[in-house]
Amino acid sequence: MRLINIVALLLLSTLSSAAFATVFTFTAIPDEDESQLRTRFDKVAEYLQSQLGVDVRYIPVKSYSAAVTAFRNNQVQLAWFGGLSGVQARRLVPGSEAIAQGYEDQFFKSYFIAHHSADILPSENFPNLNGYTFTYGSKGSTSGRLMPQFFIERNLGKKAENVFTRIGFSGDHSRTIAQVQAGAYQVGAVNYKVWERALAKGIVDLDKVDVIWQSPTYPDYQWTVRKGVNETFGADFKTKLTKALLDMKDPQLLASFPRKSFVAAENADYQPIENIAKIIGLID
Amino acid sequence: MAADVTKHYPFFSYWQKVTLLLWLIAAVFFTLSDTEIISLEPWSELLRMAEGFMTPDFFATEYLLESLWQTVSFALLGVVGGLLFGVPLSFLYSNRLVAAFCAVTRSIHEIFWALLFLQVFGLSPITGILAIALPYGATFARVFNDILIQAPHTTTQTLPANTDRISRYFYGRISHVLPSILAYVRYRFECALRSSAVLGFIGMPTIGFYLETAFRQGNYHEGAALLILFIALIGTIGYWCRPKLILFYILAGLYTLPTIPSVDGMLLWRFITVDILPPVLLHVEHWHQIDLNLVNQLLSWAQKLFFTQALPGLAITLLLALSALAMAHIIALFSSAFSSRKLAGPVLSSCVKFGLLVLRSVPEYIFAFIFMMLLGPSMLPAMLALALHNGALIAYLTVRQSDTLEVSADYNGRLDGYCYEVLPQIYPNLMGLVFYRFEVILRETAILGMLGVATLGFYIDSGFAEIRYSSALFLLVCTAMLNIVVDMISRRLLITNINQQMTCSGNHQASPKTLGSAC
Repeated sequence: MRLINIVALLLLSTLSSAAFATVFTFTAIPDEDESQLRTRFDKVAEYLQSQLGVDVRYIPVKSYSAAVTAFRNNQVQLAWFGGLSGVQARRLVPGSEAIAQGYEDQFFKSYFIAHHSADILPSENFPNLNGYTFTYGSKGSTSGRLMPQFFIERNLGKKAENVFTRIGFSGDHSRTIAQVQAGAYQVGAVNYKVWERALAKGIVDLDKVDVIWQSPTYPDYQWTVRKGVNETFGADFKTKLTKALLDMKDPQLLASFPRKSFVAAENADYQPIENIAKIIGLID
Repeated sequence: MAADVTKHYPFFSYWQKVTLLLWLIAAVFFTLSDTEIISLEPWSELLRMAEGFMTPDFFATEYLLESLWQTVSFALLGVVGGLLFGVPLSFLYSNRLVAAFCAVTRSIHEIFWALLFLQVFGLSPITGILAIALPYGATFARVFNDILIQAPHTTTQTLPANTDRISRYFYGRISHVLPSILAYVRYRFECALRSSAVLGFIGMPTIGFYLETAFRQGNYHEGAALLILFIALIGTIGYWCRPKLILFYILAGLYTLPTIPSVDGMLLWRFITVDILPPVLLHVEHWHQIDLNLVNQLLSWAQKLFFTQALPGLAITLLLALSALAMAHIIALFSSAFSSRKLAGPVLSSCVKFGLLVLRSVPEYIFAFIFMMLLGPSMLPAMLALALHNGALIAYLTVRQSDTLEVSADYNGRLDGYCYEVLPQIYPNLMGLVFYRFEVILRETAILGMLGVATLGFYIDSGFAEIRYSSALFLLVCTAMLNIVVDMISRRLLITNINQQMTCSGNHQASPKTLGSAC
């Protein structure tokens, strides 16, 4: 029964793969607020449609790895990736390009936060974290996993699993804050923007949890476009798309990401991220 | 029946021995597990959660009705798909290969099926529906086969000699078991609703999509509203899911399916020939290139994966699952007593039953999440989550039996009477359910792996997150092996005994096999 289905689907696919990408499709996962994704990003799709003159559609995804898969399978031709997921995606689809990044993403950083009972004083120097419990954000996050692990291992000179008595993956920056604030983990690493937004929303109690260390800056989120869009959507499509992204000025649209504005970017900007991912062992 | 057993074992009856053994093993496993309580100040977060449940926000979620409908539609189409290939397989189930194929298919959690299909079909309804249909079909195959085996042969003997074989089969065999088969399908539909919601966690457009985001990001007003709606959806199945409406629902489900992106055959080919190959084999172009060195590399890849991920994951999975099983047993024992009309009054019984509905409807993920806040990131939250959910489910199924039991005239309706008269009658069934749920609990540890408890599921999830499908697949195979071994052991240990007990009691209630399997 299943075999027949698969064969039928295969036959079908040979007929329809030409009609694959007439709609320009993109996906995005914002680093902070993931509520109302479709409502918010459909507006971005509308904007792009008006600028590009082709049909533009947004599809919501749940995780960076799902975004990478969709990109790789040509289900989306443009994606708002995190630093690491962008590198992964461009490795899987050679010829794809990072074309724009958020203004803030040129100098992104992670905060290390600690529960007050851990008695770690805020400092410029990397704190001695030996023997504490620690939580990352989600497994594929640049600011919640990749960079923190790199800084830990470089500064303390050993593998993270030998530094801490317990390592967790909270799955989300907001979770990291909540769990460290509850004392479930003594130390955690978060995206600095999520921390600042949580502070502004008043859900952080600074008596219980505070920043103990700020990481050096690194490049993070970026727009990556799939190779071959010019063939499908017109000769200068990539240029038009880049311009449309850089010209996005409507604060309401920018708030969805949320970024101040977009600036130009290129693949080489993310070479450090790729190198670090290799050092950590997240990519081969 | 109880008397029959005690004749052989004057002090400890069979079930007392089994129970004590279960508790003993679980106690040992529990002490070996990491159950440290390390949360120091959970109250501010818990307060925010409580506030969320006090003032749920039903308008915070976009496309709410659509996601509720898709939850139903994915579940229904998944069950239909499961029936389409489960029913034919159930006739072939006596074939060992078929049985093994079904065991492997069942042993992999819907989430992981979906993550696999995601690579081939992308974010498409096919991914979600197949992810439900495959494991459900495999379960249908086994359960229908089990039910058919138990069907009485008496009718076939009374049929006229010239009856054709098909009529003989349908009238003589199938018609006997049709009610239990239908009851089972109905029960599995409830399970499918839960599975369908859980598939939202990885991107299917069901209610789980929003539920997971809301809880993960701390939007408790929205999360609470979604949870309430989901519990209501499951609690009211009997009202909206009428037999006459099912065909309509199926057609409507097919009609309103999200657009299916065209399937690219190349993706399937790439997945089989590139993605799932171990990294060392990626550069092999031709068979000639395979030499001893390469085999060595391959072995060391497998060895490293086995010792750093599979084995520790396996250990944690077993520790977690067995401790949770014993806890579920205790929860089921007490809650089935207090929700039984034979013991509790109508008010208490209804209240406990409502509690059971809530506990069995809420995905384990959410419980684990709340307990993690309260107790810290050890294995304890995961254990409690699994135990509560499964305990409630076992209790619910047990009470359905105990409420219909006949009791003697001098039954006093108190605890001693309950323990003397009702409990011995329902206990074999309850224990059967507990053991059948073990397979399910093993599989569900996968979900908790996604929450950070280092079960096999945790490593599989990491494999997918790091786009290392070969590692994920290797670990999935380990998971499947574990399930097959557990299945074999539990069958050997228990089935013969339970079946005897069931037939002794002349109980035509749906057997534990019928009801307890995978959910």
